[in-house]
Amino acid sequence: MSETPHAPAPEARESRAESSARMLRRYGGVAFRTYGIIVAFVILVIVVSIGNPAFLSQGNIFNMLSQWAPAGIMAVGMTYVILTGGFDLSIASGYSLCAVVAAGVGILVDPAYAFMAAIAAGFVVGLLNAVLVVGVNINPFITTVGTGFILGGVTYVVTKNAAFVVPEMAFGDLGAGRWHGFPFSGMLLIAFLLVGGLVLAKTVYGEAIYAVGGNREASRLSGIRVRTVIGSTYVLSGVCMGVAGSLTASQLNSAQANLDPVIIFDVLTIVVVGGTSLAGGFGSMWRTVVGLGIIATISNGFVLLDISVFYQDIIKGSIIVGALALDVLARRVATRSGA
Amino acid sequence: MTSAAGPEAVRVEGVSKSFPGVRALKQVDFSLREGEVHGLVGENGAGKSTLIKVLTGAYTADSGRVEIFGEAVDQHGPRAQQRAGVAAIYQELTVVAEMSAASNVFLGRPMRRGPLVRRRAMERRFRELCDRLGVDIQPGARAGDLSVANQQMLEIMRALQADHRILIMDEPTASLGPNERERLYETVGRLKDERAAVIYISHDLDEVLSLCDRVSVMRDGELVSSAEVGAWDKEGLVSAMLGIELRAPPARLGAAAGEELLRVNGVSVPGKLEDISFVLRAGEIFGIAGLVGSGRTELLRALAGTQPGATGTLAMDGRTQALPRTVGRALALGIALAPEDRKGQGLVLSQNGFVNVTMTDMRGLAPGAIVRSGRRKAAAETIARSLAFDPRRLGAPTGTLSGGNQQKLVVAKWLHRRPRVLLMDEPTRGIDVGAKGEMFAVMRRLADEGMAIVMVSSELEEVVDLADRVLVLAKGRQAAILDHDELSLERVLTMTFGVDGEAAA
Repeated sequence: MSETPHAPAPEARESRAESSARMLRRYGGVAFRTYGIIVAFVILVIVVSIGNPAFLSQGNIFNMLSQWAPAGIMAVGMTYVILTGGFDLSIASGYSLCAVVAAGVGILVDPAYAFMAAIAAGFVVGLLNAVLVVGVNINPFITTVGTGFILGGVTYVVTKNAAFVVPEMAFGDLGAGRWHGFPFSGMLLIAFLLVGGLVLAKTVYGEAIYAVGGNREASRLSGIRVRTVIGSTYVLSGVCMGVAGSLTASQLNSAQANLDPVIIFDVLTIVVVGGTSLAGGFGSMWRTVVGLGIIATISNGFVLLDISVFYQDIIKGSIIVGALALDVLARRVATRSGA
Repeated sequence: MTSAAGPEAVRVEGVSKSFPGVRALKQVDFSLREGEVHGLVGENGAGKSTLIKVLTGAYTADSGRVEIFGEAVDQHGPRAQQRAGVAAIYQELTVVAEMSAASNVFLGRPMRRGPLVRRRAMERRFRELCDRLGVDIQPGARAGDLSVANQQMLEIMRALQADHRILIMDEPTASLGPNERERLYETVGRLKDERAAVIYISHDLDEVLSLCDRVSVMRDGELVSSAEVGAWDKEGLVSAMLGIELRAPPARLGAAAGEELLRVNGVSVPGKLEDISFVLRAGEIFGIAGLVGSGRTELLRALAGTQPGATGTLAMDGRTQALPRTVGRALALGIALAPEDRKGQGLVLSQNGFVNVTMTDMRGLAPGAIVRSGRRKAAAETIARSLAFDPRRLGAPTGTLSGGNQQKLVVAKWLHRRPRVLLMDEPTRGIDVGAKGEMFAVMRRLADEGMAIVMVSSELEEVVDLADRVLVLAKGRQAAILDHDELSLERVLTMTFGVDGEAAA
């Protein structure tokens, strides 16, 4: 029928109508959303290093790398989990469990086997989470809170909260060893961040992570094995617990059930402050690097600037909430004009 | 075009599929040949979408047999079907908003070298697909920032990129403008020449009749009729779909000369709309015609208090004031908006009809802040009956209802609020012929009861048939307001394309 509105028509594309002011606002918002967090990090570093120039000394940076390696490595796994729209709140207990396994086995056998045992333990923890989240299909938040309680309880019951001290000095090489002053643990952290980032950005697997987190149903209909992809991130997070637990046990030459229950908050904060969305589908590893930098700088800077521990918490909390508020504002600017 | 009877690509025999309480497919037989475009029409809820989901493997049939290229499909799931060469463009958009346009097109099948993604190669291939479809989309653009039409193009490109032998298109043109539709038709023709097999689902019967070689009609889960396109005309299709003789469209009652209700003055939205003014009378249906991107949605949103940056004034009952800044202010003035996106903005899909209908106004239903379910039920049922919506269906989660029924509930929830001006954005998008007729009757009745209705629709025929007066928008400017005796499809059509189009016509 000739009078139906299918006739060829002059260009009427939406983009033509966009005024340049709107474009500026929109892309300004996008740029801010992308790079705002880096600016915040740089300012923080400048402030702290003016307050105490020792902050940027090689020794201090090496120490920070070593100190933050366990949390940073777990943040790599957590980045994957969060990008798929999930959560892993079992990492604090899982991390203690793996450290205890490393120390307990390390008392008996060669350190290398001890660390392998810890990583295997982490793998099993991750597999358990994966089965519950994608196999049984329980909400990941609840699942991992639950498995966290179970793992923590098991560790207490088995060890009776006794500290496992490893007499073998070679056990400490992984965590405390250095090459020309550069700590092995820091190298391990950098390697995890680098490889984790490349896999996310460059591989088919990474592409699938973003797709699943961004739109699960669309991914399923496109033939992505959604449950396998999601499950794999929990296993990865478990392996990261194993590595992190090994590092800490090695650094301390011992481990105990109540190792560091609040490390979960550090790890979540590292990922989220960088700008990776808790809703899934948006984020990247460099954001986790920046998040780690910010959290480490705050903690270390407070010590160097001799600020009371109570003020630390207030300032830390404010920076976290502030960073997220800025992210939300940037998104609003970026999407409002796009709607 | 002569229909080329190639070998069979798809054969479906006696397929049935039930969902709790519904038999969605009953003993369906269907076949699709290579080099054929096979139209599939039917009312919403007739089973078309279920049938294609069985073909793509998104659903597993309860009984019956599905063969693809002569091989029985016993392994199910979208992956198996993709390997067998089936690609589908779904009615609901399935883009991943946070990913780039190119990544969306290659979703699930990125071009790769070993485990690595070949982004450059994907962008090159993306640009080729863009050229083929005549669209201009940046491969790196965030998919969520694209217009609905461009997102739809991404879906189409996704199906094309893998060179599948069998393509299923479910309402591919629903959100496309005229240009993009033409390009799509050309592409379908080319696919056909390349001996691909295409299943084409659409509510636009003219489109189906001009594009397809064979047309099958579904009704209530059964495939009631299937014949070469030459055997069909529009009336035949409609009566086969409805199972009855074609109902006459509701006659227009002529411009109701009610009192002035709302005067809109100089509404502008930077970059979208410029200086729109009109007067709305009680008892009339006021149409807004324009292309996608002409600013019609922004105009409705400006009146409803949901368009940031809108400027201008309005006068309700003669009192001039600024445009409402919030939905609450608009509702206080008596202006309600039934949005285009039923699923995203219209309904809480996980909740039932009672909750959805009454959520616009709980005053009177919850004295002392405690919800009285009896009162809620009574209120919702009264409105449902007035819209010819079966009240027994109010208890079902609204996500399980057909598009036509969902649309009725969107209208119902705003009627519950008793607005004086009801703005309706695409009230008939994606709903079938029968439900459209009912929706038109409802709109006319509401107007007769003294409400003013403002309606936006991409189907210009609808606007011309139904509206008493029509405001034509072209590129954000007010091209004209046509009275009912000046209305004709050609006139509105030329005007929507702006001054150039009119000069050429």
